[in-house]
Amino acid sequence: MSQQALLKISNLAKSYGSVVALRNANFSISPGEIHALLGANGAGKSTLVKILTGVISGDQGLIELNGREVAFSSPDNARKNGIAPVFQDPALIPDISIQRNLYLTDTDKDRFLFEISAMGLSVDLNQLASDIELPILRMIDLARALAHDPELLILDEITAALPIDMAEKVISIMGAHKARGKSVIFISHRLAEIEEICDRATVLRDGTNVDTFDATQGSEARIVAAMLGDKNVLATHSTKQKNKIATDDFMRVESLSGGKQLKDVSFTIKRGEVLGVAALEGQGQDLLFEILAGASKPTGGKLFVNGEEVTFHHPSDAISYGISYVPGDRKTALMPQRSIRENLALTRYRGMRRWGKINFGEEELKVDGAVQSLEIDTRAKSQVKRLSGGNQQKVTIGRWVTTGFDLLLCFDPTRGIDVGTKAQIYDLIRTFSDQGKSVLLFTSELREIQLSCDRAIVLYEGKVQANLPFEKCDEVSLLSAAHGIVSK
Amino acid sequence: MNLIKIKRQSWNIGIVIIALGLGTWQINRLPVFGSYEVRTILLGILPIALLSMGQAIIIIGGGINLAIGAEAVLINCLAARFMANKSFGVAIVLTLALLFVSVCVGALTGLIISRSKIADIIVTLATSFILIGFAMYIQPSPGGGMNLTLAHLISGKGSAFLPPLIVLILPLLIIWIPLYRSRMGIAMFAIGSNKDAAFLSGVNVDLTRIKLYATGGLFAGISGIVLTAITLSGSPFASISNTATLNSVAGAVLGGVALSGGVGGLTGPALAALILYFIPTILLNYGIDPAYSQIITGALTIVVVLAGGLIRNRGKKK
Repeated sequence: MSQQALLKISNLAKSYGSVVALRNANFSISPGEIHALLGANGAGKSTLVKILTGVISGDQGLIELNGREVAFSSPDNARKNGIAPVFQDPALIPDISIQRNLYLTDTDKDRFLFEISAMGLSVDLNQLASDIELPILRMIDLARALAHDPELLILDEITAALPIDMAEKVISIMGAHKARGKSVIFISHRLAEIEEICDRATVLRDGTNVDTFDATQGSEARIVAAMLGDKNVLATHSTKQKNKIATDDFMRVESLSGGKQLKDVSFTIKRGEVLGVAALEGQGQDLLFEILAGASKPTGGKLFVNGEEVTFHHPSDAISYGISYVPGDRKTALMPQRSIRENLALTRYRGMRRWGKINFGEEELKVDGAVQSLEIDTRAKSQVKRLSGGNQQKVTIGRWVTTGFDLLLCFDPTRGIDVGTKAQIYDLIRTFSDQGKSVLLFTSELREIQLSCDRAIVLYEGKVQANLPFEKCDEVSLLSAAHGIVSK
Repeated sequence: MNLIKIKRQSWNIGIVIIALGLGTWQINRLPVFGSYEVRTILLGILPIALLSMGQAIIIIGGGINLAIGAEAVLINCLAARFMANKSFGVAIVLTLALLFVSVCVGALTGLIISRSKIADIIVTLATSFILIGFAMYIQPSPGGGMNLTLAHLISGKGSAFLPPLIVLILPLLIIWIPLYRSRMGIAMFAIGSNKDAAFLSGVNVDLTRIKLYATGGLFAGISGIVLTAITLSGSPFASISNTATLNSVAGAVLGGVALSGGVGGLTGPALAALILYFIPTILLNYGIDPAYSQIITGALTIVVVLAGGLIRNRGKKK
């Protein structure tokens, strides 16, 4: 483009000790451009965003804003230079009111309220941020960034955990921002969104930009190829195999209720079956998984495992029936300061006698097996918190591989994970099913249902809206049921 | 909106009810209750109330200062050593100078913590020993004094209970309220609530911490001066500073400050000092060794932390 770039970065690099997070990143954004930043987990996207927003400083390289060299000393400094980020975890202070949160970032209240109402939302400024649901909080964070009318808006996986209607709103907001001649850096793992809204896309791999191209329809294959390099795995390719489902039920759920969130939910999971759960945000799926995992108590209904009625008082009860839970929030599942090995081995100590000795030799063997079968990147193995999001997710699943289970409850296991890792996780789920183990899988990406499930139920307002066989698990049917539309 | 405000004040209301209950109990046992007794009660709570407020500011900001009692003892010893037999004018100047010293001590503590990245609890435990060491060097044995006019101006005389009441309320008005309404106040809640989010919102985390420790130091300084005015001497004992520190934490927690940071105010801790004062005096009236009062204070602190946690959790779920 002949036009002067709004932002141009050259040879940017950053290392944490011996771990190279960003090797050599180059790209530029023109005014009025929506630029997608793509890459597998650990490719360096987050590091790049952190440098651009003043959270950390790069080891070397050049950042030019409107042709002038800049280095941002703090997020505040970046914001004053017209760069406003919205991170995956909303940067709102939980214990203070929205109003005071706005004050903290020098955000104009009226402009914020204007942006909020333009989103079709209403917010009580006196509410504490901790009292607000996560999706709304994310929209508030976006409205706060927009209120500064930034030259460059950086959206880091903002749509990852948004319900479909809000994600669409974000897309149209990006379009409006572009129409005013402002630019957006958009990070998302949903390739459809990228094709829909982005002008160009840059793909990072191992901390280096490997490809930049116009993000037109049909660029999906090119994106995936660039992201994965020589690893020729396509997540868009269905890993679905022949049904080998036994006829006997592993678990039967009868008229399960939980307060106002779940009403009269009934379904069965057969041995070796992967049952998908589709729903928009907040339709009771969180509570359903918690109840099945023994972390919450139902207010009504019955649970049967192998035909026997069971009551779970504690997650350990569920585990003793072979039911393992992989929560959606990786942070609640992991011990961030401990090593991969300890995190993987944690659930193995359940059956141990109080003063029993840990057999480290055997533990190492099992854990090494899990690490290999899951292809966990072990560059930062001494502390799990230093792993990328996708690798952390693999550790949370891998822990159950080392222990064994009969039913795995997977809550949105691929949230914020790159396509390559997603494919590995689907493969893993299929492997479980081939071994005769059952999986209950909730995913916020409807396309995944068809890729990995044998059957799906759709929750709407706490009820089972639809019970779809595999042939009917297309995005259209799932989506209409998830919106409460009764399908024939 | 009013409902939200009432909900936020519910903790303070609870503290007032407990304090009033204990107060009535105690007052009913006194043969007479007049302004002299009011002054006695105020003098009893003043040093701890001030320390609790200082501790509260630091805890709200996500830290904890185990040297706050030692800061007060150091100022107490400095004041008693240098203010004895001085004219009123000199004493006033010295008071201001000592408050400045206490601010500097607090700021230095904050600086060490934010620069070294060592946990607050370790740094302040270490500085508490250092400060007590200084105090013992300055005033090796209990003694010293203070200009009587100044002492009476601070602690009152006979039945004049207004001076200590003013000393109790004034810091709330001229330090806490402006702080709460300022950008620094929001930054204090922000770093205590979620340090990373605060940083992303543009808060200078290190500088805010230094300022909070400095403000905490100011409260410790006022407490030290008040202690001198009440006792007219300086006592360099570690036991005094340790008890004072623990009481300041108990006062802050009883006063509704969450130990995890980000939640609380200063009115609660100021009122909680009443509870910490009434428990031992009531026990003493019943002829029970006041040492046992520490058991009750400790147990009460645990109960309050538990109850507070339960209330917050319930609030979160719904």
